[in-house]
Amino acid sequence: MNEPDSAPGAELSTAAADRPRTERPKKPRPSLFMLGGLIGLAAVTIAAGADWRFGVGFSLTEIWDGLTRPNAPMRGLGEIDFGVLTGTRARNGFLETLQMALVSTISGALVALPLALFNSKLGAPNRIAYAAIKLFNNVIRSIPDLLWALLFVAAVGIGALPGMLALFFFSIGVVTKLTSDTIDGIDHGPVEAARASGASHLQMLRTAVFPQVLPAYTSFSMYCFELNLRASAVLGFVGAGGIGAVINDYRISGQWDRVWGVVVGFLIVVIVVERISMMLRRRLL
Amino acid sequence: MSRARIQTANEARFERAVRPEKPFNWFRLVVTVAVVGGFLGAALSVDARWERLPEAPGQLWNIARLMFTDLDLDDLPDALESMWESVAIAWLGTMIAAVLSFPLAFLAAQNISGRVSVVVTRQLLNIPRAIPEIIFAVALIPIFGLGPLAGTVAIGLSSTGTIGKLSAEIIEGCGKGPVEAAAAAGGSKVQRIRWAVIPQVMPEIVAFWLYRFEINIRASAVLGVVGAGGIGTMLQQNIEFRNWGTAGMALIVVVLVTIIIDTVSGAIRRRIIRGPRSVYGHVVQDPQQIV
Amino acid sequence: MIRFEQATVTYPGGVKALDGVDLEIPDGEFVVIVGLSGAGKSTLIRTVNGLVPPTGGSVHVGDREVGQLSKRQLRALRADVGMIFQHFNLVNRTTVLNNVLMGRLNRVPSWRSLLGWWGAAEVEVAMQALEVVEIVDKAYVRAANLSGGQQQRVGIARALAQRPTVLLADEPVASLDPPTSHSVMRYLQKVNRELGITTLVNLHFLDLAREYADRVIGLRGGRLVFDGPGREADEKVFEQIYGRSLTADDVLEAEAAL
Repeated sequence: MNEPDSAPGAELSTAAADRPRTERPKKPRPSLFMLGGLIGLAAVTIAAGADWRFGVGFSLTEIWDGLTRPNAPMRGLGEIDFGVLTGTRARNGFLETLQMALVSTISGALVALPLALFNSKLGAPNRIAYAAIKLFNNVIRSIPDLLWALLFVAAVGIGALPGMLALFFFSIGVVTKLTSDTIDGIDHGPVEAARASGASHLQMLRTAVFPQVLPAYTSFSMYCFELNLRASAVLGFVGAGGIGAVINDYRISGQWDRVWGVVVGFLIVVIVVERISMMLRRRLL
Repeated sequence: MSRARIQTANEARFERAVRPEKPFNWFRLVVTVAVVGGFLGAALSVDARWERLPEAPGQLWNIARLMFTDLDLDDLPDALESMWESVAIAWLGTMIAAVLSFPLAFLAAQNISGRVSVVVTRQLLNIPRAIPEIIFAVALIPIFGLGPLAGTVAIGLSSTGTIGKLSAEIIEGCGKGPVEAAAAAGGSKVQRIRWAVIPQVMPEIVAFWLYRFEINIRASAVLGVVGAGGIGTMLQQNIEFRNWGTAGMALIVVVLVTIIIDTVSGAIRRRIIRGPRSVYGHVVQDPQQIV
Repeated sequence: MIRFEQATVTYPGGVKALDGVDLEIPDGEFVVIVGLSGAGKSTLIRTVNGLVPPTGGSVHVGDREVGQLSKRQLRALRADVGMIFQHFNLVNRTTVLNNVLMGRLNRVPSWRSLLGWWGAAEVEVAMQALEVVEIVDKAYVRAANLSGGQQQRVGIARALAQRPTVLLADEPVASLDPPTSHSVMRYLQKVNRELGITTLVNLHFLDLAREYADRVIGLRGGRLVFDGPGREADEKVFEQIYGRSLTADDVLEAEAAL
């Protein structure tokens, strides 16, 4: 009944000791590649963080000092003014943001659809078109939304128009990339069937590929709408309209209580839109 | 039976068959109306002064032409130095976010933490996710002054939300088996997390850190627009003062560096997820060898 | 000695997985538990280490009653009871050695295990456990790079690294092919014979049960329906346990057994 708990441990070791001790494998050394990589990363991190010509001068004490020192933005957060949300300026700003996001997402997604089809190995008519579209899309995607806005403000002046043009190009990049990634993973059966029945390349895309990627494409377009909504809050900082312009005005005049009021309102809009969009997207996929 | 008779018989059979009516697709109609209506409604009501649109392609072409004809190699060192600052901001910001989000991810994972902790942490992570980096940056500039430190902290804070949420989802997707095994061996909760959960989820989480770094480079390239460091300042000022040659050089550097880092980082991410090959190079599949 | 007294497990939702089981298993016995899936085999062995707490009756391991232990005591009990799983439950992305060291979690101070600073003595225990199942050369290979049979041997080594008094195996060969199954069963038998560890194995192949068991226990609907030596468990007994005639699925090597 009363069973000693320690005995079998001893048995295991004696049993093992009876046996000729097999050779233990050596612990493998980390590969030179791995070691070099880690040292490189550490060097980059130190170079980036240090307080010298090529570093950002990162220091925890400075961050702590900054955050504990009294400052206008944090004071404004304490006296946050939600009354600003009922004013016409904020209302017009939000409306413009929604309009901009809607127009640019729909037009951008429309252009992105053919690009996405051609941006995949399966859908591209030939290797040259594939490479060209891939390059075009990579370049578009590597230009951030705010940079597009800067360029269009320079081109056509300030207002909602350059903002929409910026988001239009941004949307093309996002939707093309995401959709073309799913094309590589679709079922090839229908593609083969379409080719076997003598369909042209475009007919094959329309009948065999398009129906398969349609749900994903719609879902990505809606996701892109969320992104555009979020992005449109900052386009105003370079004069490209939307709620960002309102935030920027309050910021420049130092009215942080109002800045935070608008930001919280914006947060609520974004979260509500995200919830609705997520619900719809879940039903799609 | 002759061929003709078979044909007529078949035709007769097909004629008699009841054809289903094409069902009317309400869903498609509603979606079409919503999309077209939404587009037209928004496009017509927005105060955009559309009459400027026709000039846009011409102007953009003009700008592009000026940018690439006026290029001056003397601007290259400046552009590279500013871009390096952007990369540094993105890198350090991502590291800040990784450090902050890692413990939060466990607090937000349903298979690790209790209901209260999950709900509270998730809401906490939602806030920075919805606010763009630039807004963080403008709020931090009065605190840390103009310069890259404000940008770094802004990137760090705003990435914490996304990284935390995604890490929590990765943790929730980890296999239960090893956790049960660690429990059966008498491991405490912390030990189970350390030896059964973390080894399973770490590759995916680190890969996502890298992915977020790629995104943060795009963000940090524009932070300079509000004075939070990086190449954005150079871009903004030269575009504003129509120094197209210098702006073009900066733009080329942004695009090239972004694409190069994307490519390298993407390859590293795939390698992390796939895992190293066996040091012994092959797998023993022959069961006879075991006996 | 493991003692079940009227042990009952009712899952939330009212499913009775174990219904008043009385059972005594003396030290050093090799016990095979058979029954259809859903008969309560997994639940029975999980009550021994408290992964499933009994909702009625009692389960004693030695002089410890499983249901009455504090969290810390329960972890100590689990450290004395090794467990082997159907799907091996290894962390595929880490090395074999790290997986085996998981068996030492309860024996080292928490902070050391968190840092991964196991120390040479613990690594030696793990290596010895790997030696018992003859796979020590793979110690630094990632678990993902092993075959199924090798992975299950690592699972056994992990349990042995606990230096257990009792070994539980939940369908240890259900994911393996016939020759590998026999090899894994032979390792379990060896562990039982040479180290004197009480071994409880869930199986659904009757030929394996008959070949390796000192004692066969039959479960049906959570109740004990057979308890006797392995050699007495013939086809009739199994038909009684399963409540139906036998099929080819019930034996590992169909042509040989029936």
